[in-house]
Amino acid sequence: MTAVATKDQSDSDPSVDERLVYRGPIQRLLTRPDIGTLVGAVGLFLFFWAVSDVFGIAAGTANYLDVSAGLGIMAVVVSLLMIGGEFDLSAGAMTGATAMLVVLLSKPQGEFGGAGLSLHIAVPLSLLFALGIGYFNATVVERTGLPSFIVTLGSFFTLIGAKLGFAKLFTDKVIVEGLDVAAGYEFWNAFFGATWIRNEHLFASRDLTFAVLLITGSVLTLVGLLELSFTPRRPTRPAGLGVLVVGAAAAAFGLRQLVDTDTVAANWTYGLVVGAGVLVGMAGLGAWKYQPATAVSARGGPNLGRVAMGLVAVAAGCLAAVRLDASSTKVLGFLLTVQGLRAILFVGLVAVGLGMLFGAARRGGSSFFRFVVSMIISAVLVGVAFLVKGESQAVRFRSTAFAVLLLVALVNAGTAWLRLKHLPRNQAEPVADRLGRVLSIGGLLSMFAAVAVRLLFMTQAEVDATRAVITYRISILFFLGSAVVASWILANTKFGSWTFAVGGNKLAARAVGVPAARTKRTLFMTVSGAAWLVGMLLAFRLNSVQANVGDGNEFLYIIAAVVGGNLLTGGYGSAAGGAIGALLMAMSFQGIPFSRWNSDWRFLFLGVILLLAVLANRYVRSKAEETR
Amino acid sequence: MTVPLLELRNVTKYYGNILALRDITTSVNAGEVTCVLGDNGAGKSTFIKIIAGAHQPSEGQLLIDGEEVLFDSPRDALNLGIATVYQDLAVVPLMSVWRNFFLGSEPTKSIGPFRRIDKATASRVAKEELAKMGIDIRDVEQSVGTLSGGERQSVAIARAVYFGAKVLILDEPTSALGVKQSGVVLKYIIEARKRGLGVIFITHNPNHAFPVGDRFLILNRGRSMGDYRKGEVNRDELIRLMAGGAELEALTKELESAAKKDAALAAMAEEFAEEVGQLEERAEH
Repeated sequence: MTAVATKDQSDSDPSVDERLVYRGPIQRLLTRPDIGTLVGAVGLFLFFWAVSDVFGIAAGTANYLDVSAGLGIMAVVVSLLMIGGEFDLSAGAMTGATAMLVVLLSKPQGEFGGAGLSLHIAVPLSLLFALGIGYFNATVVERTGLPSFIVTLGSFFTLIGAKLGFAKLFTDKVIVEGLDVAAGYEFWNAFFGATWIRNEHLFASRDLTFAVLLITGSVLTLVGLLELSFTPRRPTRPAGLGVLVVGAAAAAFGLRQLVDTDTVAANWTYGLVVGAGVLVGMAGLGAWKYQPATAVSARGGPNLGRVAMGLVAVAAGCLAAVRLDASSTKVLGFLLTVQGLRAILFVGLVAVGLGMLFGAARRGGSSFFRFVVSMIISAVLVGVAFLVKGESQAVRFRSTAFAVLLLVALVNAGTAWLRLKHLPRNQAEPVADRLGRVLSIGGLLSMFAAVAVRLLFMTQAEVDATRAVITYRISILFFLGSAVVASWILANTKFGSWTFAVGGNKLAARAVGVPAARTKRTLFMTVSGAAWLVGMLLAFRLNSVQANVGDGNEFLYIIAAVVGGNLLTGGYGSAAGGAIGALLMAMSFQGIPFSRWNSDWRFLFLGVILLLAVLANRYVRSKAEETR
Repeated sequence: MTVPLLELRNVTKYYGNILALRDITTSVNAGEVTCVLGDNGAGKSTFIKIIAGAHQPSEGQLLIDGEEVLFDSPRDALNLGIATVYQDLAVVPLMSVWRNFFLGSEPTKSIGPFRRIDKATASRVAKEELAKMGIDIRDVEQSVGTLSGGERQSVAIARAVYFGAKVLILDEPTSALGVKQSGVVLKYIIEARKRGLGVIFITHNPNHAFPVGDRFLILNRGRSMGDYRKGEVNRDELIRLMAGGAELEALTKELESAAKKDAALAAMAEEFAEEVGQLEERAEH
């Protein structure tokens, strides 16, 4: 919802320029370089969640997080380097080289032995080695002015050759092994080899904690987003607060009863109580805090055609779901079963139809017309939810998807009411902006914590029911940490600013006193330092290292960075984007075997994802530039 | 007689056996604009590079506040208050206005590992300083790439002024700009002069130089064709001197047509200069 700031608003606030169309925090968020990838990753997750049995549960999550961790740590730092305008093709080989080096250094002496050093010396020494290569790459690139693509290609081949040559020379094998017998193994294993075994961590009230955190998080996020979307009312109207409290109490009561009772009639009754409570609460929040809507002139005519087309598409999708045989695995032509066709038709047509309806609800026609379209959307969502519940075989559709669809319908109806009755934000409101931001970020963190609790802990009943052991490795923590730290550095520090500057226009940066050479050197050394970290994680995990470990991965890092919205030519991008790109790639790699498809296809899949991601990024960025 | 901010005495520069600049003497005073005029290959680039610290003179002296200096790098020159705004590398287009404004000198807050850019201060100061220079940026969060060419130059000029430049070197700031945009940049040159900076304005367009210059150094084929104060020379003489006699006729014609195009602009800039002059006089009284 954008609106042109009017003259009198800019008079009251000197920091507002009347030539600017107001862009709220939500619109500004949409112009981030990594938003396209995030949407893609969520889409891919939902896709594999739907088609495979293990993807959405802890076993699958542990698996693809593990794969994404090694990739992601490197994708984050490679993103930094790419923003700084350089490549490092030796990054993949370096992960294997440091892993091999630490094994060779710590292996006991003797024939086909190593240097016999304690790990307290070998680990720091291998770090120095990695940093030295980073320093070398940076210095050659800086001194000669050659493209880093060429220089690091040289380092890449040198490392590959050295790994194989030295492995054969010292151990007469292409694999070096025996890290766990080295002195100091216990100490360093705590850093690089630590694991979290889910089956050993019991938490009796896990599901309650999960539910509380998830509901709190969703509510906070919703309120935060509303706070960012509507114009605050001054002074507030306390009567609305009363309505809000009544609504919230009803919703909480209904929820409580839903958990405690287990009959169809009670589910219906209390489900409706929850729904009504949420709607009343949202209306109360609006009446309490937000400015009433003034008469808004219609922007363009009502999109009746789009509404009709959307409804037809949804109906066709539902018809396909009802008419086609859900259990049939008869192959239709090439690669596609009746079952698969049914799923594709249903999801595809319903999604397209809803997209059209949402489009019609956003613009065109009077505000009342748009409200009606929103209500139609909610009705469609409810209908689809019951169809899914009735027709589907899998529990995750009958319970999770059903509940989520109903909730989306509910929230959509509530916001439609608020949009009808209240004034959208058309100027910055520092207090409301901060509150909205804190609430939505806090809400997201709470939801994240909810998922984490569920993934990390087990209940006694679950332990008794299963024999599968789920293990998380410490690399996942390093992955998260590197993404958070790198994003913070990029956004908030001088070094972050300088990274963008040397990648965007090195000469200009140097002319105003940015130490360009030092910045690039730090970036190269960050990449090689991260390669060392990944190498240590590998070595302590496997105890043995093959000579070809990591070779070729540098392209995966670069692909992840590009998928994450980083510009190949430098000067634009985000570290979090690289992390999400790595997650997306790991999900597609692991999702294919989980779905019991032939994993020969995975590179085809990867190629398509890469192309789609780049196109989506380009599209998002051009949209973003338009609104500037 | 005050000591000039920056003075060149008999500066000569060789590149191997090529004589790029021969025996140049000129000076820049505080609150004055020295225009360096010359056609392509006249030695303007060498002249800038010597003052900006990128090259050292082969012979002759460079004086700042009356003292002889020797620059090893552009950083040395910057530290002594000599800021150079190059024509094509003034800004980083993909970065926001405020990040560009403070690039290399970001204000920070907090300490240790949590030391970070003070974004609120930076964007407020950038907006204020740009406004003081008469540059009205809509939103300092927008990327510089979305600004027009003249606005980009202006951001670079305002940045140099804010960071305490005493001497501002502008390398062909108007050459890639349209008439109106050039007018904007000339306005900021006058604004910088009003604030007491010494400005060295390098250009090949006498129509841009004439209305704002206090002093004119004309270069041709590495030699000085004369160093004049305002009033000692008129526009036609400038054009003649720049051409150095060679191919005079063709050049004159070319410049005449350019002059027609620029007439509106020149009038505008002259008017503005007069206005500023009157304002200054009034302020002094």
